[in-house]
Amino acid sequence: MTDLVPTIGLEIHCRLATRTKLFSPCPFSFGAEPNTLVDPYTLGLPGTLPVPNAAAVRLAVRLAAALGCTIHPESRFARKHYFYPDLPKGYQITQGDEPYATGGAIVFEDPHAPGTLARAPLSRIHLEEDAGKSIHDRGRDRALVDYNRAGAALVEIVTRPALDDPKRAAACFRALRAVVRTLGVSDANMQEGGLRCDANVSLAPRGAKVLGTRCEIKNVNSFRFLEAAIRAEIRRQRDLLARGEPVVQATVGYDEDRDRVFVMRTKETAADYRYLPDPDLPPLSIPDDWIDRARRACGELPAARAVRLAAAGVPADLARKVSEDPALARLFEQVVAEGVDESLAAKWIAGEVGSLLARRAGPPAGGAAFAARLATVLGWVASGRRPAAVVRRVLARMVERDEDPERIVADEGLEGAGADVIAAVAARLVAEHPDQAAAFRGGNTKILGWFMGRAMRALRGSDPATVRATLERALRGEEDTP
Amino acid sequence: MTTSILEAFPDAGALAGAVRRGAVRAEAVAEATLAAIERLDPTVGAFLHVAVDHALAAARRTDRIVREGSDPGPLAGVPIALKDLFVTRGIPTTAGSRILAGYVPPYDGHAASALARAGATLVGKVTLDEFGMGSNGANSPVPAPRHPTSDDHWPGGSSSGSAAAVAFGLTPLALGTDTGGSVRWPASCAGIVGLKPTYGRISRHGMIAFASSLDQAGPMGRTVRCVAHLLAVLAGRDERDATSLDAPVGDYPAACEAPVAGRTVGVVRRALDAEGVHPAVRKTVADTVRALEARGAKAITLDLPSMDLWVPTYYVLACAEAASNLARYDGMRYGRRVEGRDLAETIARTRAQGFGPEVRRRLLVGTYVLRKDNVDAYYGAAMRARAAIAAELRGALDRCDVLALPVGPQPAVRRDAGADADDPLADYLRDVFTVAANLAGLPAIAVPAGHADEGGHRLPIGVQLVGRPLGEPDLFAFAAAVEREIGAGPPPLREATP
Repeated sequence: MTDLVPTIGLEIHCRLATRTKLFSPCPFSFGAEPNTLVDPYTLGLPGTLPVPNAAAVRLAVRLAAALGCTIHPESRFARKHYFYPDLPKGYQITQGDEPYATGGAIVFEDPHAPGTLARAPLSRIHLEEDAGKSIHDRGRDRALVDYNRAGAALVEIVTRPALDDPKRAAACFRALRAVVRTLGVSDANMQEGGLRCDANVSLAPRGAKVLGTRCEIKNVNSFRFLEAAIRAEIRRQRDLLARGEPVVQATVGYDEDRDRVFVMRTKETAADYRYLPDPDLPPLSIPDDWIDRARRACGELPAARAVRLAAAGVPADLARKVSEDPALARLFEQVVAEGVDESLAAKWIAGEVGSLLARRAGPPAGGAAFAARLATVLGWVASGRRPAAVVRRVLARMVERDEDPERIVADEGLEGAGADVIAAVAARLVAEHPDQAAAFRGGNTKILGWFMGRAMRALRGSDPATVRATLERALRGEEDTP
Repeated sequence: MTTSILEAFPDAGALAGAVRRGAVRAEAVAEATLAAIERLDPTVGAFLHVAVDHALAAARRTDRIVREGSDPGPLAGVPIALKDLFVTRGIPTTAGSRILAGYVPPYDGHAASALARAGATLVGKVTLDEFGMGSNGANSPVPAPRHPTSDDHWPGGSSSGSAAAVAFGLTPLALGTDTGGSVRWPASCAGIVGLKPTYGRISRHGMIAFASSLDQAGPMGRTVRCVAHLLAVLAGRDERDATSLDAPVGDYPAACEAPVAGRTVGVVRRALDAEGVHPAVRKTVADTVRALEARGAKAITLDLPSMDLWVPTYYVLACAEAASNLARYDGMRYGRRVEGRDLAETIARTRAQGFGPEVRRRLLVGTYVLRKDNVDAYYGAAMRARAAIAAELRGALDRCDVLALPVGPQPAVRRDAGADADDPLADYLRDVFTVAANLAGLPAIAVPAGHADEGGHRLPIGVQLVGRPLGEPDLFAFAAAVEREIGAGPPPLREATP
């Protein structure tokens, strides 16, 4: 058997962060009561017409600019026809032959070569409206339809069949999520269907000029399952080919529990969508200054930043964490701008601070003021001015209540003691507990912990290492010279 | 009573003026109109729904505004009928189709709300060929309306009820829709005036779609001036229709007074020489040109070699867009639903039983031409032909202000010649002269200019004038000149007899 290599392409649907739908002023938000976010257009009532949502177009342009696409000043909407109850007009308005953006690439950190970037070239990005949601009530043999989602604004990002490995495919999908979040294009919440991925998979002998027959894995909604589903599909196709059976072009689903793909429909039963340029919509004109502004506005993307930080010595996993999440990334930038070392900032922001912020109820802490305070606290860490326990305590309250760190220290009496006070306390404890001191000198070093507990109660906020060293010297009867 | 109102106020603007001055009460006009509809419509057959309460409430509101000394709008108190493709909140809207039987929309479309703002009194919804597909008025679950001068002839369609309501004097104004001649052709048959405006001049919001790139709402009335008044309140940019034009609205009633002296009418030789053009139709166009020349206009002769492509191009595109636009009628959310064993069968049965035969035929054609294997050979080819046709017509209009064409090659069709369903091709070919304006997006008006004597009936014949984009003022000037010079006018008002 020749060496078969997979070729993978992704089709990613991403819901735009607009208040209203793509072609009507009807609001959309996830989780509303069924059929409350509808209007005559959403329901496909006779006589209704689509009106493009400029906010959606701006977000779409921002994304295309960030991914380095060619943005077309004029593109077209087309109707894609099929009959289904959750498709209210009997067609979906999408873009066919003339999408608004072509080319470009998703740049991601190569999971097989951490610290280096890989590219998944794009064939296109287009705007389209979402369908409603059918809910199958099998117990009563009926289906219900919720039209809230119908007409919601989506972009579909289509990569070329250029990925060669399930892990890279998942990394690429993950990088795209970081991009859309960083740009504010989408909240990309996969549980709410805000980001969905289909994957096309085919196998061909290494070096073959022609791709093998592809199958499309539908609607995967987690990075882990995407990787597993692609692996399972590669397995399925390899087994077929090993048995000498052909791969039939098909749409497949992934069964998470059994880690297997199953064929949903083959090409023979595929619909002819009868694409038609939408006569209700003039060509979509994107003004040059929208494109220019979007191109000027795109900063460094998450994957590039992660790789840059890693190159600068930040551990790769921390670098990724402070790059992928837009709120942490912003905080990281601000803190570094305040002069904090990148590795130190990454360690705390990816760790303690990140989890404190994630747990915080109410509006997220942030902004330049928060960053400046965090820089102060990390300054303590860098200089060893305050012990870790104090730092943690201050951070917790800072995140919770947006307070000044120095004030928290003063407020909670965490100032700590000077060396002379520590020495005095150590001397007093040794004097007051001669038996225990004798035990220590006799070789029972465990008893140092007993002295530490007492000393720290008296010296709240002081650096434990300093206290320990001072105690040891006092117990050995060494003179302490502050 | 309606007759006497129309006799006292043949111009809708004059009737509105009397209401605005308080000389005539809108409520009295509405009552008289409703009474006339009740008495006459059983023999005319124009109305699908008479909105009695709505009409009286609208008229009373107009009267109250007048009493309060405020402006009730330019069409204050003028009764109007809407083709049943216009969406009206709380008033049944069926598109003349069983598939929308019982459907009552929850919103007003542009036409209904603009007319309410203008103070007009909407008295009801009138019949049509189902979804606007047909040219005789026969493609409908209800009988076609009467022809105003002959019980042996079809009234013309698809705006058959709109034309009948105006021709029989039930309402001074009506609104139709025109996708390939559906306002101009019944207007010509009925001896009234009908305008297909420039594409995008009137918002399509709330107008049930047949073929979106060709559809326009079309004002109909007994005089050119009446039509100008109606266009004035409907035209203009509407943010709810992305294809509506953002261009200033002219003073259309004033345009009816503009001279045509020194201006140019282009006569399309090929249209008059074409096979199957009735001698009375030829004479009507010739008389029109002579009348315009008598008023000082110049006539030139020109050729439009693309004419043979007009009908095939139109039917490919109109059917393709119709197949798409009518996909929403699946019985799932509104309208009629016929249950089947499963989802596919429910949708299939709903559509098979809900749509009439002509609509089904066009949906099949439209679906066929959009199939992946066919789309370039049919739809693509038709789009290319459309661009060539539009370029040719616009080029011709560089040499003249308006083109003069027949409306249809023949006068109204005899009922015993059969309806569309029997010989669709013959009916499609009758659209030859009207579809070009829709394909090119140009404004076109039909104005009475002649007649044919057929089997003892005097059948009105209109002439068609086609203008430049946004050239409605030119059309009103030329059409008003024809109206004055020839004086063909609408058939005299008469009490319809069963």
